[in-house]
Amino acid sequence: MWRDALLVAGKDLRIELRAKVALGQVAPFAVVVLLLFGLALGPAVGSGSVLFAAAAGLFWVTVLLATVLAVQRSFALESVDGASDGLRMSGLDPAGIFVGKAAAIASQLLLLEVLLAAVASVLFDRHLAGWAILAASAVAATVGLVALGTIYGVVSIGSRQRETLLPLLFFPMAAPVLLAATKAWDAALADAPGHALGWLDVLLVFAVAYVAIGTVAFGPLLEDA
Amino acid sequence: MSGYVEAGYLVGLGTLATYAVTLVARERAGRRRLEHLESTPRDDPAGDSPVTYAP
Amino acid sequence: MSLTSTPLTRDRTSPSTAAAAGTVSEAGAGGRAAWRAVAVRALGVAALAGIAATVVLGLWVTPPDEFMGNLVRLLYIHPALAWVMYIAYGVSFLSSLAYLWPRTRGPRWDRLAGASSEVGVVFTGLTLVTGSIWGRPTWGAWWTWDPLLTTTALLFVLYLGYLAVRRIPGDADTRARRSAIAALVAFVDVPIAYFSVLWWRSLHQTPTVDNPVNGKTAIHGSMAWTLLLSFVAFSLAYLWLVVHRCRLAVLVEREESEGLQLAIEQRRSEAVGGAS
Repeated sequence: MWRDALLVAGKDLRIELRAKVALGQVAPFAVVVLLLFGLALGPAVGSGSVLFAAAAGLFWVTVLLATVLAVQRSFALESVDGASDGLRMSGLDPAGIFVGKAAAIASQLLLLEVLLAAVASVLFDRHLAGWAILAASAVAATVGLVALGTIYGVVSIGSRQRETLLPLLFFPMAAPVLLAATKAWDAALADAPGHALGWLDVLLVFAVAYVAIGTVAFGPLLEDA
Repeated sequence: MSGYVEAGYLVGLGTLATYAVTLVARERAGRRRLEHLESTPRDDPAGDSPVTYAP
Repeated sequence: MSLTSTPLTRDRTSPSTAAAAGTVSEAGAGGRAAWRAVAVRALGVAALAGIAATVVLGLWVTPPDEFMGNLVRLLYIHPALAWVMYIAYGVSFLSSLAYLWPRTRGPRWDRLAGASSEVGVVFTGLTLVTGSIWGRPTWGAWWTWDPLLTTTALLFVLYLGYLAVRRIPGDADTRARRSAIAALVAFVDVPIAYFSVLWWRSLHQTPTVDNPVNGKTAIHGSMAWTLLLSFVAFSLAYLWLVVHRCRLAVLVEREESEGLQLAIEQRRSEAVGGAS
């Protein structure tokens, strides 16, 4: 399974290196979203302002939106030229395909999050403290979100209402992860690592659960797509 | 105060009643349509032999 | 009417007997079907009677609460609706599992999952609305970002999404399998919603307004009995609704396949008529 996963992840990442969609479209989109939040809730910055207090939440909502785009892009790759049939008949282990696709999306998103965190800390005037917790919770949250998104992505792959169906399915399920990630980051930024650890646990549970469900369910779902 | 209570009961029970009624209505309509479909005279071109589908 | 009839295997040797047998009851299952119809009818009557009794008791017979006043009467509606919501999603989860399990796979579980989820969505919406109506005079707002309200609202949208997945076109097996998996994933949020009151308090350690609807306030006498009755009455209503929704699903399936067969035959007779 791992070899298949590496194969699929490598393929997706190579396509991305050539097409540069995540770099050229998703990242600017995410930055624009952060700017829009600033416009809507600003212009005050500093420790009393709305932007200051909401920074972690706004960051994670932006990441969520970017995740939807990244997942849609990942499955759009499989929808052209009978690529999904090729994938099904390739003899690759479906669990491996799931892990590979999710890993490719997740690695792109993690890079995006580094960029976004830098931009957000500037825009919302927050000093990034508690690096370890920020990083750990970001990884756990991203894995959970991407696993979930990949499960729903394959469900919507055959549907003609793909663009609206995926967010409708994905967002409500992603909300608990979003909440936990926001709380973890809030606690880390406020220099209260103790509280953050509790939320990190929640994120880890979600990550493990969704990856497990994905590896099992991806095969049947891909068959039916 | 009591206006809220009445509203709650009305909304809750009214919605359930509406749902129940529409279910029954759709069921009746569906049954009628099915009977119509099944009793539509069909021309069996091969005579009175059972319908088979080409392999 | 048998819930497990498979239209494609109906005897087709003679059009007249086919029409005579009709759709409402297959010849052999006539007796069973009659009993079932009576039972469902009785179920409906019992549910209606129970709800009517709850309304009468709730609105007039029971006394107003010393703290909440007349608002306590909403207690005879709202918690029962929430209870049914959880039951409905639980049934959806179990029947989806039953569908996916190879030994028990069958269209009846898929139908049950769909029916129970649809009824569950109705009850979730009602839970939110009645809760909101309760909340307005109590907390002064139609909505609060209380974890329970938020997770319940999420549950509502989540299962709406599940109903949307059921509508994605495809052949019956594909649809059923996809829906079953979607139901399993969606159900993950049900325990989150149920325990949200507990968890959020322990993680946050902030004092939350003790929601008397969820807490175990001591109620007794006629109020307790009415509360119990409401749970029973709405559960019966749930059963009746699910039965009818399943029946509707069977009718829709048969209509689809009948319509398809009719169209095929009409095309065939056209072709033969044209050729001769």
